[in-house]
Amino acid sequence: MTQVKLISAWFGGALLLAGVVGILESGAADVFLEATRPDFQKISLGVAGIHNAGGPDWLGGRIEEVLKKDVQRSLVFDLVDLPSLGIQTPDVGNGMGVGSKAVFKQAAEKGVSVLVWGKASLKEAEKNADVNMEGFVYDSGSDEVVGGKRYAGSPSVVRQMAHRFADELVFRYTGEPGIARTKIAYVAEQGGARELFVMDYDGYDARQLTADGFLNLMPQWSPDRRFLIFTAYRNRNTQDIDMIELATGKRWTVISLGGLNITPALSPDGNFLAFASSHEGNSEVYRLDTRTKAIQRLTVNPSGDLSPSWSPNGRELVFVSDRGGGPQLFLMGSDGLNVRRLTFEGDYNAAPVWSPRGNWIAYVCRTHKEYKLCVISPDGQKRMQLTTGPGVDDSPSWSPDGRHLVFSSTADGKSHIYMMDADGKDIERLTFQGTHNSAPSWSPAS
Amino acid sequence: MTKTLCTCGVVLVMSMALIGMPGCSKKSVQSGGDSQSTQGMAKGGGADSSKSGVGSFPDTGVQSGGGGLRGLDKNPSEERVGSGTMLAKVDPSSSAERQMDEIRAEQAASAAAGLRDVLFGYDSWTISEDGRQALSRDAEWMKSNPSALVKVEGHCDERGTAAYNLVLGEKRAKAARNYLVELGVGANRLSVVSYGKERPSCNEHAESCYQQNRRGHLAVKTGK
Repeated sequence: MTQVKLISAWFGGALLLAGVVGILESGAADVFLEATRPDFQKISLGVAGIHNAGGPDWLGGRIEEVLKKDVQRSLVFDLVDLPSLGIQTPDVGNGMGVGSKAVFKQAAEKGVSVLVWGKASLKEAEKNADVNMEGFVYDSGSDEVVGGKRYAGSPSVVRQMAHRFADELVFRYTGEPGIARTKIAYVAEQGGARELFVMDYDGYDARQLTADGFLNLMPQWSPDRRFLIFTAYRNRNTQDIDMIELATGKRWTVISLGGLNITPALSPDGNFLAFASSHEGNSEVYRLDTRTKAIQRLTVNPSGDLSPSWSPNGRELVFVSDRGGGPQLFLMGSDGLNVRRLTFEGDYNAAPVWSPRGNWIAYVCRTHKEYKLCVISPDGQKRMQLTTGPGVDDSPSWSPDGRHLVFSSTADGKSHIYMMDADGKDIERLTFQGTHNSAPSWSPAS
Repeated sequence: MTKTLCTCGVVLVMSMALIGMPGCSKKSVQSGGDSQSTQGMAKGGGADSSKSGVGSFPDTGVQSGGGGLRGLDKNPSEERVGSGTMLAKVDPSSSAERQMDEIRAEQAASAAAGLRDVLFGYDSWTISEDGRQALSRDAEWMKSNPSALVKVEGHCDERGTAAYNLVLGEKRAKAARNYLVELGVGANRLSVVSYGKERPSCNEHAESCYQQNRRGHLAVKTGK
């Protein structure tokens, strides 16, 4: 890993991913700690094939394709096309044989820092046979095969194998858990109703979670990924905040105060639930202590206050208020004190979400009558518009690594879900079916 | 260097996969769209919620680290790969059908009563002159049908955020409700609910359609 530059120490401070904490404590030095800085140099990585070692024709190719997409989306690696560099990609087994040396030498000479290859097999003749996959990693800096992985699982999880291997690569070179195994919860229309769904972060394997035939809105993940918390309508007349446990499908009501009860957000440690409720008149932001059940009102204002989002250290909230006319972003301490306005540009700024790295707040900004996505720094000094063009963009949600946003947009007519880099580049559409996919929420990293 | 950390992560992930949801065996919650607030998920001795309107809360803090990754190994041992986050199969509940039936009954009763919608301007919850006329007729109907209960629904067009439109929809519904009360309709006969932009009556991306969706809709309650 010698040619992998150690980028300077962590500057965010606010966010310490659990995995990173562990690495820091273990004193490892060969990791990147900040791969979102503009001067971050991506690591060139080539995939020298996931070769078929028995089984259906699609097997190796499928895994390779998923792996390459994951590598690209990680934004940690620069995926290089090996054949265009004249580098051959034979199956070199575990990389210990003499045949491997020539390939490694070629890769190193062409400036490829990391070379990845592997093989996959499935004994189709056997009932309930497993897919077996092996992946190996050569690091040209240290000129050695630094290691590999062996996976086994049912043919239905080959995409997960690729995702897992991709996350291992990110983990190896950044100390972060990667996002390839994350999920996105969202709302989809079904027979006039809005139901909750969960899909893989790349849009595959969508699964339905609710089927009650009315409105289930704006899901948010619990920090431990085991629950979604969302707005629901009991018998269409009363609006509540519900939770659902993903593994069991069990669902229950956590907030039913009367009036509007919307935009729930659990604090990063899970100890508090911030939400908006109009049970005392107009919509205000409240904070529930999930252990004592004590509810504290955080805003006192005759206007609408809603959409709280926690800073990664749990000390502050950004929220929306229409005090003074149209909706604008405001900041306050998590105790409701020290309220100050954050946005001044435009007459409609809403749906804020604080980046898990703490350095940006993404939100919906109205410019030229279009609803687009913007980011602003929490000190208000820096602001950027990320999306342009027609269509209503809504509900931005950060990837746990802070490098991507997922959002809904009507840019292609019907509302669908898209992801893009945190700087607005590389917009990728994730949903293609249905008439109304909205309110995406990116899960925490596993 | 990462061995200790990673082993813990894997053990935890595997135990979750095998056992399911450790520490949550005392659940007695219901599924379905109209489940009542239930107890049983509270941590720490199962302390019941004594405050009305607040249900039980599981511990949702993060207990694991390392993401279940074990790191690369020169001589890797086999890892079993599952489908990631475990997801329950959704219950095909009878709730959806019942809701559909109730919505149809509500719509039929409202149409029979001849109740009129109030339309609103962009970003606005002010009742226009046309809106006042519509509500006056609605109020007359309510006075001559003194047992009828009416739900005032606030709706928005597709522009703007889903969240803020819920607040805007509530403002519209309350504005309509308040005007009906001014006209002498008993407040106890009126309830308000906001559907934001989630129940549009028209699905085109055009102003004519947006105008139809920016409405206060009066629905005659037929069930509970």
